[in-house]
Amino acid sequence: MSELVLRVDAIHKSFGRRKVLQGVSFDVAPGTLVGIVGENGAGKSTLLKILAGELRPNRGQVFRRGALGYCPQQVILNDALTVAQHLDYFRAAYGINDLGRADELIEQLHYAQYRKVVVGTLSGGTKQKLNLTLALMHRPDVLLLDEPYQGFDWETYLGFWELTSTLREQGCAVLVISHLFFEQKRFDCLYHLQQGQVTQEAPAHLA
Amino acid sequence: MAGSFSRRLLTATRYALFEQGRNRLALGLLIVFVPFWYYLTLLIAQGTALDFKYWATGELLHVDGGNLTLLTAGLNAITLIVGFMFFASTGKGMQFDRRLVLSGYPQAVLILGKLIALVVVTAVVALYASLVLLAFWHGGHPTSLPLIWLGFWSAAMIYGGLGLLLGVLVTNELAGFFLVIMISLIDTSLQNPLGNPVGNQPVLKELPSFGAMQLEVAGGFTHLVPWEYFGLSLAWFVGFALLGLAIFWRRTHARSVRAAPLAAPAGTASGMASLSITGSGDQALDENIHTC
Repeated sequence: MSELVLRVDAIHKSFGRRKVLQGVSFDVAPGTLVGIVGENGAGKSTLLKILAGELRPNRGQVFRRGALGYCPQQVILNDALTVAQHLDYFRAAYGINDLGRADELIEQLHYAQYRKVVVGTLSGGTKQKLNLTLALMHRPDVLLLDEPYQGFDWETYLGFWELTSTLREQGCAVLVISHLFFEQKRFDCLYHLQQGQVTQEAPAHLA
Repeated sequence: MAGSFSRRLLTATRYALFEQGRNRLALGLLIVFVPFWYYLTLLIAQGTALDFKYWATGELLHVDGGNLTLLTAGLNAITLIVGFMFFASTGKGMQFDRRLVLSGYPQAVLILGKLIALVVVTAVVALYASLVLLAFWHGGHPTSLPLIWLGFWSAAMIYGGLGLLLGVLVTNELAGFFLVIMISLIDTSLQNPLGNPVGNQPVLKELPSFGAMQLEVAGGFTHLVPWEYFGLSLAWFVGFALLGLAIFWRRTHARSVRAAPLAAPAGTASGMASLSITGSGDQALDENIHTC
């Protein structure tokens, strides 16, 4: 138990009469890659927003240890600022002094040439890369990713999984939410979110 | 230190200013629209004489209609442009600001940065409108250009605050712009004796830019400094801005307890921070928690 970085305990969430989450519970240990899969409208993004602190559940508790990185499904950037200005802004948000990790990520995701470019003029894929960089640049202990590879080309998609596996080796717990997983074998743990609850599924390589 | 108050405030202010500077449409409107409007109003009102009720002394000023209309035109242009600037930036930036707060940016610092940027941007916009006004003023100079600037600045701050308030309240861009236009139109046109011949009624005192207009007229035609009208304008600005920022505070609030580890319920690792809680903190944990 002492190894946990995230504990989700009996989370309930309704919007009006619509019950979206009805007692979601699971644990996440450091250095694990956890996937949550569910149909459209199953409540995946709602769950992630609750884990990130964006939404308050009606009932239930979330416990977390360490720094959080959160990459929302919708790319949330400021179109008027450049890539470098975003990094500087989030450096101040996280209270970190150097951008060493952000620089590594930019190189790894191959978009260093856009550092001084205003975000409003970038392609969707490059915006998504920056979206991910902002979630990772402070070396979080828990990383929450909502459909993180939308808009990535094949090379970046592979780079993303390489990055995820490096993070896992470094002890970061990564929670990925998606409506579809082609790469089930990469996960240590897979959950299926349906009818407001999660059920554990055996990852393909363990099944 | 990256996380220090002053560094974070400087960063928030700098990028709030940057954002306004990148609003090309607003800048274009400011540069082209203001002198063009001055020119048009001068064409219509030059050579006329108008009466204007100057409430600081209670007297009816008999002034050059062209110059007076220049002042109302400046007021109208500034309120529209500044209202548009701050409505656009607040509405678009809300989710981004929320992400910053979720990442640890103190809300108070972010809000203070926005306020400082608003005060600076409106001061510059008012200065530009005042200087351009000089080029169109005829029959000498206004009695006090700094006072005209103060009037324009007051109006700009009020509409900056209004833009901010509408930005957090109205999600539809078109509806927001329409509201800015309608409010500015009613507010400024009613105070123009050219457009509203009975525009000396006490009811005008209830309009947001009433104090600003009185300051401008004081700067254009009198030697008095009616500070009470600057105070009145500040009250409108503070009212709009506080209401807008209070809603902004609520909308960007992170629902997390970041640094305070709770006494964890039985079965929970000690030192885990509670991120979000409803019900009692000591409720029993779900016994069927899935673990890898």
